[in-house]
Amino acid sequence: MSSRPRHSAEKRVAVEPLDAAALERLALLDRVARWPVLALVVSGLFWAVIAGGLQVIAAIKLHAPGFLADTAWLTYGRVAPAAANLFVLGFGIPMGLGVAAWLTSRLGSVPLAWRGMMLVGVKAWSLGLLVGVVGILGGRGTGIEGLELPAFALPIMLPGYLLMAAPVLRTFAQREPGEVYVSQWYVLAAVVTFPWFQLAGTLVAVWFPLRGVLPAMAGAWFLHGVFVLWFLALALAVVFYFVPKLVGRPLPSRNVALFGFWMLIIAGPIGGPARFIGGPFPAWLPSLGVVGNVWLLVPLVAVAVNLLLVLRGQRTLVKSSNALGFTVFSLAACLLWFGLNIVNSLGFFRHHTQFTLFTPGLDWLLLWGGFGTAMLGAVYYLVPRLMGAEWMRPAWVRMHLGLVAGAVVVLVGAHLLGGWLHGSALRDPTVPFVDVARRYIPFAATGTLAWLLLLGANLLLTVQIGWLLWTTHGASCVPEVRSWLRPETREVNP
Amino acid sequence: MNHGPLVFLGLLVSVVCSWAAVVMVPQFQVGDQGMVRIEETGQDYPQAPAGLARRGAEVYRANGCQYCHTQQVRDAGEGQDLARGWGARRTVVRDYLRDQPAMIGTVRYGPDLTNHGIREHDRVKLLQRLYNPRWVMPGSPMPRYPYLFELRRVGPDGGSSLNALPLPEGEGPGAGLEVVPTPDAEALVAYLLSLRADPLFFEVFPPPAPKPATNAEPSTLTATNLPPSP
Repeated sequence: MSSRPRHSAEKRVAVEPLDAAALERLALLDRVARWPVLALVVSGLFWAVIAGGLQVIAAIKLHAPGFLADTAWLTYGRVAPAAANLFVLGFGIPMGLGVAAWLTSRLGSVPLAWRGMMLVGVKAWSLGLLVGVVGILGGRGTGIEGLELPAFALPIMLPGYLLMAAPVLRTFAQREPGEVYVSQWYVLAAVVTFPWFQLAGTLVAVWFPLRGVLPAMAGAWFLHGVFVLWFLALALAVVFYFVPKLVGRPLPSRNVALFGFWMLIIAGPIGGPARFIGGPFPAWLPSLGVVGNVWLLVPLVAVAVNLLLVLRGQRTLVKSSNALGFTVFSLAACLLWFGLNIVNSLGFFRHHTQFTLFTPGLDWLLLWGGFGTAMLGAVYYLVPRLMGAEWMRPAWVRMHLGLVAGAVVVLVGAHLLGGWLHGSALRDPTVPFVDVARRYIPFAATGTLAWLLLLGANLLLTVQIGWLLWTTHGASCVPEVRSWLRPETREVNP
Repeated sequence: MNHGPLVFLGLLVSVVCSWAAVVMVPQFQVGDQGMVRIEETGQDYPQAPAGLARRGAEVYRANGCQYCHTQQVRDAGEGQDLARGWGARRTVVRDYLRDQPAMIGTVRYGPDLTNHGIREHDRVKLLQRLYNPRWVMPGSPMPRYPYLFELRRVGPDGGSSLNALPLPEGEGPGAGLEVVPTPDAEALVAYLLSLRADPLFFEVFPPPAPKPATNAEPSTLTATNLPPSP
């Protein structure tokens, strides 16, 4: 037992009238974390924009098959996995780690450790990803869904990940003694387990592939593990941080949150096989996946009860705060994903949705609705604090929230509804396949609109961050860059 | 829950258990499956694919065909795959022993291809389909694959290449030009024509056929080739 007074992490989260010393402490933490967190956030945003462009191309190809058909590098079967990998590994990992690092520093009330390592790590990660994605576009994808990156990408990326993640764990280890807050558990879960999933999956699917269908199962295990233990866990970490903090109420029950956390950790990684219900696997395996997914009902209730009690009666506050707006949208998307993922595991529903637009729709719901909006909300909150400057126009933040929310609603709505009709047509053997395609094409076209909206939204944030960097550091950078371009001639005296 | 190592240990146990259950236990259960003797034909199944088809599988993988086409047939209780004529039976682990990797797919923007080699025998039609799917199937959303073909100038005497693709009436790149499939296109077609998972063995006997409404003559029952229902 520590002899120092126990600081409750909940108290650190909840908004209290902070005294000057506490405010100064927060400002110091943010100043220390500035460059590494910013580098990770900008890197994630960069890949999100690139992936968005590729995804728009892929989406157009679903309803306009002649579009860019002459180039092998841009055929649908290469652009679609390239975009998906960039969204998951390019946007998801650095963005998530950046926010995780900031949360760890704030909740532990210690400055971010080993900051230089993060700057090196994000470069290695991006380089490996670039090499891998060029490999996919060049036809070297592995053919395992979720683990498409060629065998040579991971040896570059994984050291990069470790360099980015080690400072987060180090900072956590140095935290001030006291209670560990819910968000810290979720951050720990995400940061620690991701490399295990990627390494173990790549090992048996790409480097030393098992025979037959098992690599595909390893791919599903990886994908589901990352979706639950990275995207969902980090989204919940952000939600659990911001909702009590911005509303100004503590969590009703730490024990319920704890119970929900462990249920999610236990049930999350075994849900993957449910992607292959009816597929060529031993029958118990998809059943295990269904058990894992239905088990998620427990964390669903635990998370919902805790946070909805905090949010009860706060409609006006949610409408007035941007960070809270993003966060609450993310919470709603997470809860919807929980529910649909459970229902989608059950036979009567799955028979309609298997092999349809519904499957990608559900993935996008968690990736952009749950994870994406939570991260964007955190970015809008933390970047001005890191930089010590305000956003260019507050109205643009609001506009971004509207764009992202609109894009997610249109994208997910079109995919879920279109998936149901797609599946109903597939289930009727008298409908020729060309007519099945006619059923889903309008919804795929609606998806294109959503991806364009999302691309626009991410470009908007890029412009805002660029403007912020320019106003705060442009004046000091310009002479420096100019001196590189036109070096002054110096007299060398003998 | 205020101890990092405790959380770490819990995470490790959970991920390792899920890994063991989802990947390693199935590997111990079915990982050492071998070929099975099909009694009717006396052949072992599944046979290694021919060299050209094996190369075609690489083209299939490189161009991501599996993002629109599945290669798995589900039982009648799971979906209408059998009723759609995509196979006579469901697929099982053994069907994929020779696939490296097995590209079973998750979305059906296009039809299932598990038994494509049974439905389609026409190499030329398949090549035309790759060059422009709308020639063969109007309204198809499948992309064109012109980069799997070469455009060549027809010789001065009007003689075309031996392996030039016969084009439908009024279609094609224009006068004086011919479309010649590349080796990749030929390999892909060989692969697509080789796709079949229809032999019956102990794991996959089809469900017993529904009994006819009227009483059948005993003689017709004895003459059937159907395997005895269990």
